[in-house]
This record gives sequence, C-alpha cells and structure tokens, in this order.
Amino acid sequence: MKMAWKEMKKNKVRFLILGSIVFLVSLLTFMISGLANGLSQDNAALIKKLPEGKIYMTKEADQTYNLSSIDKNLQESILTKHPHASAFSIQMGFLNDFNGKQRSVAFVTSTDSKLFKNVTRGEVILDRSLEESGIKIGDTLTNNQLNGKLKVKGFVEESKFSHAPVAYINMKDYQEMYRVHDMQLLFIPGEGPKQEFAGLQSFSKNEFLQTISSYKAEQMSLNMIIWFLVAISGMLFAIFFYMMNVQKIGLYGILKAIGVKTMTLFQMMWTQMLFITVLAISISAVISQVFNMAAPKGVPFHLTLETTGLLSLVFLLIGFIGATFSGIQIKKVEPLQAIQQGEV
Amino acid sequence: MALFTMEEIRKSFTNGEVKEEILKGVNLSLSEGEITALVGASGSGKSTLLTIAAGLQPASDGRVLFEGKNLTKFSAEQVRKIRAEKFGFVFQFAHLVSFLTVEEQLMLMLDVAESKKNKREQKKEIHQILKLVGMDHRKNAYPSSLSGGEKQRVAIARAIIHKPKVLFADEPTASLDSKRSKDVMTLILNVTRTLNITTLMVTHDEEMLPFADHIIKMSDGQVLQS
Repeated sequence: MKMAWKEMKKNKVRFLILGSIVFLVSLLTFMISGLANGLSQDNAALIKKLPEGKIYMTKEADQTYNLSSIDKNLQESILTKHPHASAFSIQMGFLNDFNGKQRSVAFVTSTDSKLFKNVTRGEVILDRSLEESGIKIGDTLTNNQLNGKLKVKGFVEESKFSHAPVAYINMKDYQEMYRVHDMQLLFIPGEGPKQEFAGLQSFSKNEFLQTISSYKAEQMSLNMIIWFLVAISGMLFAIFFYMMNVQKIGLYGILKAIGVKTMTLFQMMWTQMLFITVLAISISAVISQVFNMAAPKGVPFHLTLETTGLLSLVFLLIGFIGATFSGIQIKKVEPLQAIQQGEV
Repeated sequence: MALFTMEEIRKSFTNGEVKEEILKGVNLSLSEGEITALVGASGSGKSTLLTIAAGLQPASDGRVLFEGKNLTKFSAEQVRKIRAEKFGFVFQFAHLVSFLTVEEQLMLMLDVAESKKNKREQKKEIHQILKLVGMDHRKNAYPSSLSGGEKQRVAIARAIIHKPKVLFADEPTASLDSKRSKDVMTLILNVTRTLNITTLMVTHDEEMLPFADHIIKMSDGQVLQS
C-alpha cells in the first residue's frame, strides 16, 4: 500500500509548497556555490591549474608571498635536484594599451618550465579575458616601470590571480619593473610528502591560497552562506514535517491502534521527504547547470557536476535528519490518546 | 471454553500524590461469536476495560487471556501483531484515513494484517465485505464525501475485512442519530454473526442493548451484574 504516494496525490498543494521551498533554497545554494567557485577561479586559477605539488616561500615572509625572496643559490640547488620544479614570482600591476587605457593585471614570471608560459624579452602572453576586452595579438603594451614595450604574443585560457588577468612576462622585464633579482616562490610538482629546505616553508596549493587574505575572506563568507542555506533547508524539513506530524497525530494514533508498525509510518514520511527532495534538487541542479553553460562571460560562475552532486547528497542527508528528528512525535503517539481525541 | 477472558483486572493512575483506581479487580469472559455489551455511567471504567482488553493500554494488575495466551506477558510488538491480525476496531468516530478511498482503507487493513492473498483475491474480498455493509457503490469515494453513517459502515468494513477473532467497538453509535445507530448495530450484528466474530462493545445507549447477547453493567470500576 503506497500510503506516502496516496497522501501526496491527495494533498498536492501542501507538498507542492514544501517542494517549492526546497527547490528555491537548493537553487540558491547551487547558484551561490557556483559564484563561490567562479570567484575562487577568478581569484586563484593560476594556482589551481597547477598540478598537485608543494609551493615553497621563505619562512621570513611569514606567509605573505610577495614578501618572500628565495636565495638564488638555494633556488639553483633545488631546481637542479628537481628538474620539473619551477621558481616563479607574482606581482599585481598595470599595462597600458595603445589608447593609453590602463589594465590591471597580475604579472607572472618563472624559470624555464612547462607549468608557466615562457616568453622572450619584450613579449607578453595574456589571459583570454583581455582579448575579449579588445587587445589583439601583435598589440604593443607599456608599463610605467619598464623602459621597453611588451608585444602581445598570445592568450591563454583561465589564467587569473586576485581577480586580475595574468600577464606572463620574461624574467628580465620583471626584474626591471620590480627591481628584484630573487624569485618569490618555488613549485615542486608531485604528490609525495613535503620536503624540508632550510629557511623555506612548504604549502599545499590549498594552504597557499589560504595565505592570501582576500581569497580566504571571500571564500569563507561564501562558504558560510552555502552552509547556512544547507542548514536552513534541514530546519525547513524538520519544521514542515513537524507541523504535518502535529496535524496527523490523530491519524497516526488510529493507524497504530489498528496495528500499523511505527516503522511503516516513518517509512511513509521518509518516502515523501525523498520524493520531494530528489524532485526539487533535480530541477534546481538542471537549472544551475544550464546557467553554468549559458552564464555571461563577465559573471564568475563555475559549478562542477561533482559539487552539484555533493551538495545534493548533503541536502538529502540534512532532509533525512530533519524529517527523522520531527518524526520522534510519531514514536510518542499513543493510540488511546488519538481515539479519545475524536474525529481526525 | 471462552475465547477471551479477563481476570482480576486492575487499573490505577497516580494523579500527583493521589492514587486513583479506575478498575478494581474486574473479571470478564467472552464466548465465541457472541456480542457482549458493557454499560455503565461515565467514569465507571467501561472504556478503560475495553482498551485494556484490546491491548491499547496495559493493566496495572490481572491477566488478559486470548486463545489461552496471556497477553499481559506479551511484548509491545507481539500485542501489535495480535491487534493487526486477530482484533478489529470500531470507534465512536469512524477515524478513516482522509487520503484513501473506501477500497484503499480496506486494502490498507489487509496489508496491516499481512494478508497472504494476492491482489485479485483481496479485491474480491473487499468487494464482498463492502457489499455486506452496503457500501460497494462508494468504493472509490474519499471519506470527505461520505455521510456520518456511511463512514461508520466503512469503519465496520475495515474492522472485519481481515476476519478478526474479536471486534472491539467503543461507542460505535455515539456520533449517529437514532435511525442510523440502529442501522449500524444491525450491521454489526449481521456481520459478526455471518463471520462468527466475538464482539465486545461499550455503549451508553440503552436502545442498543437488545442487539447484545450479554450485558455487563459496570459501576465505580467494578462489574455490578452480568
């Protein structure tokens, strides 16, 4: 006897309201998650796109990458020992286009490596977003701290840092612009345990991103919103099923009196919760994935299927806990009390 | 031999520091296929006795024997199983499930009683019982579209669809007018006779007493006469 289904069919409006609320909350969660990931990509794609490995900066820098300056001899010895490793530096700055318009960029330079774009002196490779804003291959760009000019050699996909497009420049140009000779960071690819180097501190990619205060604050705020929404949806389930159960105490009592098992009543509630949640989440997942594909270029939105799946599972789990918590009433219902209460 | 026996049943509640004794050593026995009516003033303990007999609440003391087994020693799950398979219930109000049709109410009861019959046989049985209570023509109706008398007929059908051994009826006609009350009692009499069901009924309506084979009068938690 499919009681759960029969009840939903007969009380469509009641369940439609709950379904709509779950749909809206889950859609909002997916959208904010997409924005959080999008902003995270916008903030740290340069680092996120690196393979698994460890990033090193000097201990003296106290986890502030742009204060780090790795001794040249130490750098050389590490790069000799680890041929796939690379030393690199990042500095925020500006490029002026042929109209004199200033563009905010993150200048990146590195030792010879397949992990970063290498260019010769006087050349620059830019993130694709700058092409979309009018810069073309062959254009000449300038920088106030650089005597020479930088010719655009090409573009790369999704290479951003601190919400600015990355500009890969030659080490000599970088040294001229920032009056430095040492590199800030070292990257050693590989999944092995971290290695100790005198005076250097190691970070996983994620740990490194956490040292960037703007990234950490931004992600913390967005993640807090996401988990609040997930918690709210759990509470919604608990409150909604609590209210429904209060209304149905008489019914539960009668059903128990005629011999229906308490577990059957719980199963009825779980079935309804599962049906509503799966339906509502599926619709919101489809909508958010469509938005993921069709979102305007300027909107930092990035929602993977893995994230959608994970959040959906969390929603289901929270819904289950919320509904079960409210279902404690079912266990407490005394058949006798329901019979004495009068007509249900 | 009696199908159902209650021996020295006592029930007391503690209200603050005051201990209130509702039943004071009641003895009762029900013979197979007969209707026994429990009568008495409000507060005499008749409804409490019926709910203890039906396994809806435990006695403070005494024994409830059904088919020779002492139900007071059974676990809650064992009592639930007995209620589902061997007992039927008709209450003052029909207490039908609002989102199930008449046919589905009966199907639910067969599921609860773990009927071994297949769906086709179950439907046939439902059809027969609904015919017996005169509700076959309303099998697809929801409770909200039924009159009080019709609801009570469906409640009776639900109580007997699984062929219980004992039917417990707590003021089954209290919410009905005089004519409908007699109709319902006639129906209970007919179906219990047809299916050889033993019935224990609580009523305060003296007009219903001619339908009973035995009348037990209760007062102040004790049986006055039977």
